[in-house]
Amino acid sequence: MINKGYYWLIIALSIPAFLWLVPTLWMVSLSFQPNEVLARTTSTTFFGLIPLPFTAENYSALFAFGQTPWWFLNSVIVAVGMTLGVLAVSTTAGYALARLEFPFKKMIVVICLIGLMVPEQAVFIPLYTMFADFGWHNSYHALILPRMAVPIGVFLMMQFFQAIPKDIEEAARLDGVGWLKIFWYVMLPLARPAMMTLAILTFLYAWNDYLWPLVSAQQRDYFTITLGLASIQSNFAQSEGLGRVMASGVIASLPVVILFLIFQRYVVQAMTVGGSKG
Amino acid sequence: MREGRKAYLSQTQAAWVLLTPFLATYALFLIYPFFRGIWISLHDWNLLAVAFNPDAKEFVGLRNYERVMWGRNITWGFASPVLQALGLLGLVAAAYLLLTNRLGRFNAIALAVVSAALVFLPGFHPGEGGRWYDRRFWPTVGNTILFVAWAVPGVTISAMVLAAALNRETKAMGALRTLFFLSQVLSVTVVTLIWQIMFSPRQGLIANVMEVFGASPINWLTDEKFAMAAIVIATVWWSLGIAMILFLAGLQDISKDIYEAAALDNAKGIKAFWYITLPNLRRTITLVVVLQIILHFQVFGQSHLMTQGGPNDTTQVLVRYIYQTGFRDSELGRASAMAVFLFLIMGLFSVVQFIVGREKS
Repeated sequence: MINKGYYWLIIALSIPAFLWLVPTLWMVSLSFQPNEVLARTTSTTFFGLIPLPFTAENYSALFAFGQTPWWFLNSVIVAVGMTLGVLAVSTTAGYALARLEFPFKKMIVVICLIGLMVPEQAVFIPLYTMFADFGWHNSYHALILPRMAVPIGVFLMMQFFQAIPKDIEEAARLDGVGWLKIFWYVMLPLARPAMMTLAILTFLYAWNDYLWPLVSAQQRDYFTITLGLASIQSNFAQSEGLGRVMASGVIASLPVVILFLIFQRYVVQAMTVGGSKG
Repeated sequence: MREGRKAYLSQTQAAWVLLTPFLATYALFLIYPFFRGIWISLHDWNLLAVAFNPDAKEFVGLRNYERVMWGRNITWGFASPVLQALGLLGLVAAAYLLLTNRLGRFNAIALAVVSAALVFLPGFHPGEGGRWYDRRFWPTVGNTILFVAWAVPGVTISAMVLAAALNRETKAMGALRTLFFLSQVLSVTVVTLIWQIMFSPRQGLIANVMEVFGASPINWLTDEKFAMAAIVIATVWWSLGIAMILFLAGLQDISKDIYEAAALDNAKGIKAFWYITLPNLRRTITLVVVLQIILHFQVFGQSHLMTQGGPNDTTQVLVRYIYQTGFRDSELGRASAMAVFLFLIMGLFSVVQFIVGREKS
């Protein structure tokens, strides 16, 4: 299969691939250039794609003042909390719907299916008024809880549990092990790949979500990094300096890009599932 | 169960113990808000007034829907001949393709429904002395559809071509796929940050490159002709990855034998793509298109952050209008009516997606 045409194809594809990378590369490169230079021109060396003159000052300034580190920490708390929460409710419900027999099971599955059709944008106003009544806005749980109600994780886990052979469970049943113990000691360890996919899907969603944090977190102390970045980009060049805003962008992207590069297969799988179901 | 093991939960009890955490959050944070949204849409509900005094809302029935979608003296006629002619053409094409068996029944019906809507809906317009109660709503819906109409084919076609080219399991191909997928994991605020500055006429990379070729810089984000194009470009760059992966999965299902047989008949390269790859990818194409429509109809961040809906409302989109009506103008009732409208459109496409998905498996 490998012939001359293949190498030409690689070369031909490298051009659009490089162009695809350019915007990201440019952000990284600008973040390493001094603000005084950027105020004059952004294309010092090779259209600014090579960071010369070089400085790391934007990053040290970011950690010395400004709220970016704090927002980053908020994002970590929200993303980890949401991931654990979604894993907890989805694995338990997914297992029950996949492997246990009980009255009204079909009805519950259908009700959950309908929930897949409700987009975030259709419920963010009533959610806002609800959380306002509870006095919950500007808190971590306000940022975490709404996502735990999205049934996509339940379906992901349900499909996985349905594919596990029944005899594993039956052997444990014959030994008199209770259902909850079977779930915890037998099924959960088997479900690690699906849990990994779901965890990554949730983490990415939490890290990148914009609309709900925008309405729920009005105090800057509770901004996530995604929201914080939006709040500083509208007046980027004047107040903060272009290099520093770009450095914030790089910091905001670092966790998801690292996650992607390490767990590429899971990330692609998670985003495909997420894209195709909610 | 063995004797003396009665302490264990029965299957039904265990199921409810395991289900309760999810069902509680589901009922409280999804089902209830959904119905509450409909409830709010039936009220004259000012965000600030109701926050101070919970009784400051007034039940108005469907008035909010009327105030958003209707007007005084609205009549029907051939108000936008281009769109309506296009719709008629679509109807004829659907009938022809169905009769000549070029199109499956499902696709033909979909085409016919869309065409009929295109004939019917743009026909409404204010008659003499009449006006829309909300002048901005339908143009906003139009902008959203326009955005979808550019972004979806843009993503779908480039993703399909790339997937066809990248459909080999070698290291180099894997690396190229990674590069194309990378932008997909970034958040909307990072994407808009990058592209705002890319498009800047003074500092932007695009302007800098164009300057070398002697072209004068374009005010991408503030020029009415280019603002929509700018957010579409940023969106295609951002969301190509998933579509590409779905197409790669679809390509894996096409058996290699077909290509080998076709190669004997001298069908290679572009010819093979046209006569073998495309027809076999039909299901995947439908799936990707429907998914993208659902995804891009909910566009918010690109418009909110890059152009603020401007210039002159040319990039104002539905979700941004809902957000503004609710949280800037404090009119939660009207905003909720629009959100219900959005949900109905999304729901329609979700049903289509569900049907397509079932056909596939």
